[in-house]
Amino acid sequence: MTAEPHILVIDDEPQILRALRTILTANHYRVTVTSRGEEGLAYAAAEKPDLIILDLGLPDMDGVAVCADLRQWTQVPIIVLSVRDAERDKVLALDKGADDYLVKPFGIEELLARIRVALRHAAQAKSGGDPVVTAGDLVIDLARHVVSVRDVEVKLTATEFNLLAYLASKPNRVLTHQNILTHVWGPEYADSVAYLRVFVSNLRKKLEGDFEQPRRLVTEPGVGYRFLLGE
Amino acid sequence: MDGRLISSKRRTPGLALLLLVTIPLVTLILFPLRAGLSTTTVALVYLLPVLINTIYGGLVPGVLTAIAAILTYNFFFLEPYYTFFVHESQDLVALVIFLIVAVLISQLVGKANRNLGESMSREGELAHLYELSLALAGINEIQEIAEVIAGRASEILGARAVQVKVSLAHVQEEHLIQFPSQAPLTGEKPSLAAPLVTARGKLGEILIWRDREGSEPSEERILRTFASQSALAIERAALVESETRAKVLEESDRLKTALLSSVSHELRSPLSTIKAAITSLLNDQVGWEEAARKDLLAAVDEETDLLNRLVGNLLDMSRIETGALRPDRQWNLLSEIVEGVTGRMHRVLKDHNLQVHIPEEVPLVPVDYVQMEQVFTNLLSNSIKYAPKGSTIGLSARAQGEEVFVQVTNEGPPIPPANLERIFDKFTRQSEAEKVSGTGLGLSICKGIVEAHGGRIWAENQERGIAFHFTLPATLDGAQPPVIEMEEA
Repeated sequence: MTAEPHILVIDDEPQILRALRTILTANHYRVTVTSRGEEGLAYAAAEKPDLIILDLGLPDMDGVAVCADLRQWTQVPIIVLSVRDAERDKVLALDKGADDYLVKPFGIEELLARIRVALRHAAQAKSGGDPVVTAGDLVIDLARHVVSVRDVEVKLTATEFNLLAYLASKPNRVLTHQNILTHVWGPEYADSVAYLRVFVSNLRKKLEGDFEQPRRLVTEPGVGYRFLLGE
Repeated sequence: MDGRLISSKRRTPGLALLLLVTIPLVTLILFPLRAGLSTTTVALVYLLPVLINTIYGGLVPGVLTAIAAILTYNFFFLEPYYTFFVHESQDLVALVIFLIVAVLISQLVGKANRNLGESMSREGELAHLYELSLALAGINEIQEIAEVIAGRASEILGARAVQVKVSLAHVQEEHLIQFPSQAPLTGEKPSLAAPLVTARGKLGEILIWRDREGSEPSEERILRTFASQSALAIERAALVESETRAKVLEESDRLKTALLSSVSHELRSPLSTIKAAITSLLNDQVGWEEAARKDLLAAVDEETDLLNRLVGNLLDMSRIETGALRPDRQWNLLSEIVEGVTGRMHRVLKDHNLQVHIPEEVPLVPVDYVQMEQVFTNLLSNSIKYAPKGSTIGLSARAQGEEVFVQVTNEGPPIPPANLERIFDKFTRQSEAEKVSGTGLGLSICKGIVEAHGGRIWAENQERGIAFHFTLPATLDGAQPPVIEMEEA
């Protein structure tokens, strides 16, 4: 991308807006800020930003409603920033179309990393996605159903492969338990989190040498999983 | 015993018969012996039925019997026989004296009888009161007291229904007990009523509905005594209740003060570090070296994390205390939870040797993932704080019967036996002397979470260091862990 990516920040805390404007501008982003949901929706429609950072507690409307509203007409990446740290709030925002969720207070490096990931993912989605996902030593050929670690093929069961392929097809994004179960096992398994737990555990054993520190399949406590593509 | 048995108003047919037959019976016995008996003896014998009838029948039957006795005596035994005339003046005197004696006896005996009846009825009342105070002794619940009163009053006063209304203005409490509970009383006027009054005013009333109209003085008297006994019991219960309330308030006040002082201390220390670092960096006069600048900023970073944890802990604690912490129990792998925690804590864990042992056989456990993470995080943080650098921290789990046992061990200093339970209380530090940072809430949060899951948590001293144990139920609402069938590769 040649032009500076445009980020719209919707948050009702003046101090956060000030800090984000300063920091994001310093990191070569073009920034628009607003403290109201309605205004944010209007900006989003008029200026077509490349990414939206959204707070859930807005004075005029709930951030989740803003999220749902945006998703009716745009696939622009949305990163939710909120002090609400309950899992059901995260799940709700993600299910309503948010791409990512960061709990306040957050480290700015974390936010910048998530922004880069979201922008790259959006660009990839536009170009049609790659049939081969490479994450460090791990190579997943989505078309040929072959997975290898350090050039050695790893035997996966059909469900294990489907699970890995689904997570890898949306790299770096938090996918909720329900979302994964519905896509991999089918809607009737939407609440069977136990399946997910056991299969993820098996996948980790097969793919990751260091059992105690999962680097590719990351658990988002109480929310879901994220496939980490790495920087 | 029922005092009314003696009452003169009660007459059974047998008694009436006795009254009627006594005089003819005496006459029948004496008549054949008339020639051999003096009139004085006959008069004395005639006093017998008068006496008997007064005892069993009361004053009026006694006097009636006396008159009947005189007439019969005169008719059959005084000359001229078979007339009511009296010839001899001495016989007349005898008759008059007989009448006086008979009436006097009747009166005396009748009075004694009445007194006996009354004292027996009083004794009955006393027995009822005694039973009531026995039943009320040791009850401190106003509702229960009202129930006892209603039940007793209904039994003793032969009521169709009893209502006990209690309203305590100072605590805005109202009780309405009806006995029996399903009796329909809409709009009906009670047959008897007594207020529940103490020195402090009216506390309520007892209302009684009966099938018969009116009431006797003894019944009203017993109802009044009943009411005053009840009022006393209710007042006593109200006092006990308000005392308990005051104690609870005092305790929560004490906790709040402890919380505030602890929190303000814990909040201020990181804040002062942050303030000091930031104001130094903002000062243009000093040209900070890159390394020094980094140091100051790292301190700010760490202290903000600490503040954030503190706020999280306080929120968790208040959720636990208000019972709002309801675990969302789902089938989870302990190994996954522990991996997540140790992964996130790897920086703070780097000075210790962590050994995790969770065998594959440990089944899926029904826990709230996030809350269980919190338990492991707090137990590990605690171990890091108290155990010397370089020592081993162990974490293991095993399934046994209906429970899963988890153990976190460290090589920290032993805990005095008296404190083994207290360390799970709020704001308890193992050692005040050592400057150990934290909120004093970590272990009490663990306890809150584990118990909300239906488990137990405890600590014990071991040969080397200490061990935290906790258990988790292995079933979810009675259901066994699901079996996940594996496919072939």
